[in-house]
Amino acid sequence: MAIIERPAPTVPAIVTPTTTYGLLKRPVSATGWRSWVFTVDHKKLGIMYGAAAMLFFIIGGVEALLIRLQLAAPNGKVLNADLYNQMFTMHATTMVFLFVMPMAAGFANYFVPLQIGARDVAFPRLNAFGFWAFLFGGIFLNLAWFLGGAADGGWFMYAPNSGPVFSPSNGVDFWALGLQITGIASLTGAINLIITVLNMRAPGMSLMKMPIFTWMITVVQFLLLFAIPVITVALFLLSFQRNFGAQFFDVAAGADPLLWQHLFWIFGHPEVYVLILPSFGIVSEVLPVFSRKPLFGYPFVVFSGAAIGFVGWGVWAHHMFASGLGPVSVAVFSLTTMAIAVPTGVKIINWTLTMWGGKLWFTTAMKFAIGLIVLFTVGGLSGVTHAVAPSDTQQTDTYYIVAHFHYVLFGGAVLGIFSGFYYWWPKVFGKMLNEKLGSWNFWLMVIGLNLTFGPMHILGLQGQPRRMYQWTEARAGEGFFNFAFWNLIASIGSFVLSVGILLFLINVLITARNPQKAPLDPWNARSLEWMTTNPPKEHNFDVIPTVHHLDDFFHQKYEEDSVTHTMTQVRTAEEIMAEQERNADKHIHMPSPSYWPIVLAFGLPVITFGLIYSHLISVIGGVIVLFAAYGWALESSTAPDSDFETNTPGTGLDKVASNHD
Amino acid sequence: MSRRRFDIRLSATIASVRDMSRKAFRPLIIVGGISALSASCATNAPQDTWQPKGPNSKLIDDLQQPVFLVAGIIGLIVAVAVIYTMIKYRDRGQPIPEQTHGKPALEITLTIIPALILAVVSVFTFGAIFKLAKTDDTEMIINVTGQQWWWEYDYPVQNEFGITQPIISSGQLVMPVGTKVLLRETSRDVIHSYWIPALNGKRDAVPGRIHTLRLEADKPGIYAGQCTEFCGLSHANMRMEAVALSKEDFAKWVAKQQAPYVAPAENTLAKQGEEVFLNQCVRCHQVNGLTRADGTPAIAAPDENVWSGAAPNLSHLMSRNTFAGAMFDLLSKQCRDEVWNAPSDVVGAKYLAGVTEECLNQKDLRAWLRNAPEVKPMYANPVDLVVSNGKYRGMPYLALSEDDINKLVAYLITLK
Repeated sequence: MAIIERPAPTVPAIVTPTTTYGLLKRPVSATGWRSWVFTVDHKKLGIMYGAAAMLFFIIGGVEALLIRLQLAAPNGKVLNADLYNQMFTMHATTMVFLFVMPMAAGFANYFVPLQIGARDVAFPRLNAFGFWAFLFGGIFLNLAWFLGGAADGGWFMYAPNSGPVFSPSNGVDFWALGLQITGIASLTGAINLIITVLNMRAPGMSLMKMPIFTWMITVVQFLLLFAIPVITVALFLLSFQRNFGAQFFDVAAGADPLLWQHLFWIFGHPEVYVLILPSFGIVSEVLPVFSRKPLFGYPFVVFSGAAIGFVGWGVWAHHMFASGLGPVSVAVFSLTTMAIAVPTGVKIINWTLTMWGGKLWFTTAMKFAIGLIVLFTVGGLSGVTHAVAPSDTQQTDTYYIVAHFHYVLFGGAVLGIFSGFYYWWPKVFGKMLNEKLGSWNFWLMVIGLNLTFGPMHILGLQGQPRRMYQWTEARAGEGFFNFAFWNLIASIGSFVLSVGILLFLINVLITARNPQKAPLDPWNARSLEWMTTNPPKEHNFDVIPTVHHLDDFFHQKYEEDSVTHTMTQVRTAEEIMAEQERNADKHIHMPSPSYWPIVLAFGLPVITFGLIYSHLISVIGGVIVLFAAYGWALESSTAPDSDFETNTPGTGLDKVASNHD
Repeated sequence: MSRRRFDIRLSATIASVRDMSRKAFRPLIIVGGISALSASCATNAPQDTWQPKGPNSKLIDDLQQPVFLVAGIIGLIVAVAVIYTMIKYRDRGQPIPEQTHGKPALEITLTIIPALILAVVSVFTFGAIFKLAKTDDTEMIINVTGQQWWWEYDYPVQNEFGITQPIISSGQLVMPVGTKVLLRETSRDVIHSYWIPALNGKRDAVPGRIHTLRLEADKPGIYAGQCTEFCGLSHANMRMEAVALSKEDFAKWVAKQQAPYVAPAENTLAKQGEEVFLNQCVRCHQVNGLTRADGTPAIAAPDENVWSGAAPNLSHLMSRNTFAGAMFDLLSKQCRDEVWNAPSDVVGAKYLAGVTEECLNQKDLRAWLRNAPEVKPMYANPVDLVVSNGKYRGMPYLALSEDDINKLVAYLITLK
């Protein structure tokens, strides 16, 4: 909403605009679906990112279950070869681009402004546009299922197998163009968050006093900023090859298909860190809170994160050790890949030492965080075994690699995300997730994921390749390590894992129906996002805090005895809140909702749809985009006061101060 | 607690952990040994990557075993450290701990140790990478071409092995033991990857490029492999085997491959089968020496019918054990087991016996002839052929009558 006269009203004021600005009247609904669809509030967008990502998580999970059903026994008949190839392609695409990335974007959107003491991001309408572009892109990607079949070339989409002859359906077109749209979303999000973090931190918050989650998100945004353009180029080449007869990967025309592999992995490896670093950030917040100690070696964790961000650009060819690069390239990339294990190891050591000497409180969030330390380590170590390039030529494209990256991404990224759910749920929704159910959720997920992905180490080392729609008894073996037994265990494990995730969804429903509100500071937390109400007011903070310490909120609550170094609580969270409300800013200036982000984002899939079916449709999409961009440009970022002149008795919002941009 | 006391406690606990882990190492090594042993005892896992059968795979294995061991130990240390910390520092009502922000010295030490371990590993890795890339000690060359979804082997003329005319085969790579074979790999369509785990790691076969892969087997035997780069619809069905024969047996195999074509006797079912073959199959499949009724040589033209440009050469088909990209056995189950499980001193003789009438796997061969795309997915839908200008993507449905199939089977069995 536009302008808020101190403390925000509990009953939102619904007003009707009296004038038009630019092309359309501004949306002003504070409740109902309009308040979500046209919102530019980073918190609402964060929640929508999370909800949409969760939906795609369920879709990707169902795809995974179908894959495991197919592979539970030899010569599986659940899916045919064509459908299986679509299934594993879309499972990976969905989990990477439509679940982990947007979920991390959701966390980033919600918590980065709160953690740095800001009232929103730098470009709120761009933020809204990013969300809608991601959602429409994701829906567009999945439309292919109903229009002749989804992409079937694997998420890595190697040329020339992705070409028009080898993949004749429109699936790859939907895939390439859909990812362009989600790429636009990531790129705008990255620019927005980088500028927000660099410019909008609370007074006193130097970069080295910034919460570690915000730090990791910042590193990720820089990775995205440079990685997304690479995949954009690659996807354009692919689309031109398929839709306009270009020959970028056509050997007969003198091209080299390895070009695609280089482009894809120059994007693809930084992308791996895009997926994992947000979760590293989350557990780096959770572990100190529940250890009652600051993060051990904060600067080391910050710089190791940045180091991963840099070295992450120099390891891409380790995905190509079997591609025939030649020994010198292989040796160099083998070395850089080992090098990146060092900063990653630093994080493991620092998390463990954060708990060391602490006062550990094993909440569900903490359990997930500790689960990440142990399971990510397993994935990290199996990663080192294939940094050894000759060893990798035996392991690559087998289930050993599937095991490796699922320990990294499920044991790492997803457990981190769940840790974040349990930790921040009271902040976002004002209610605590059920801890007992949470414990079941945690244990079923951890047992399930070990049952699912643990046996894949064995299967891979026994020589079961990936991406095969069936495995045959002729290659299965008969000893203790035979394919049949371990494939069955993996399939059973995937269902245990699903039950664990289902418990989370049940927990969400139960929590939503539970009237009990969360306390103001349920975890005795440390960083600024907890120095406001649950859920936060629309303007986040009544008064922008001035920061003196890392973990400033904790230091406002506790004081250290200079001799004995014991910590004594001097103030409660409630007292800090009350003081803030007393000193609340009189004049808070918030961005207004807008129609344009969603309209502009909607134009994008219309354009891409037309590129596949009829260029006339693209023209219509182009008109929508231009119209929306025009409307956007003419709209001032905050509606004039006249729109909000209203009387809502008893809310304190009776006269809005005048303001001009 | 004072900073100093905290330090003492920290170092004391580290010492006790160190002590504990030292004691824990002995059972650890035993457990590791047992699991390594049971891994090597797991019989009949034909693509087991931990059972090297040649110097190249042995080089990889010698490198990876210590890496696995060290990785396993580090993993256990981390797990033990985390669990120990969880137990020791669980909330027992102790006061809020001192807000220590880390110890740079400890931090740097714990960064340098893994870096040093990795530095050592990288030295050995470098050595292995360059050894595995050597080509100047090659004794024999075999050209390998991947195509959706089978492998073609082309043995260029190499007089020292008795190869006086090029031999073209598919599915099973036959090679002499104790010989440094260099595969020169390429592809006719998409990227494939050649992998015989018992003999070496994988190497991609990329269209427009030639990549080399060293292979050498210590003992005669049949070593299973599988295409490991996703190559489309029937990727799962693109298999291969390397058959290592003693040098004498290999010479026999070469002689057999170069033997002239023997036409079936007149007025036999096989002779009628030859006619069906000439009418149907020869459009794509070459049989060296086969002539038409008028005496002209029958030359296959797969490039006119198949998108990727080739079809398996079926000369001496019955000297192979598999067909259709090694997806199916030419041998019945029992005969196959006899060959595959034969000890290394007799496996060569058994393999060279080829496929006899009694041993022929009629069921799969007939199903294949009846409707190939039904048993191996190959984009059989005519709609999919529009993009390939009507050319087939693998073997099409030929609508052969049962009568023709009988004749063809009778003919194919004569291709010894």
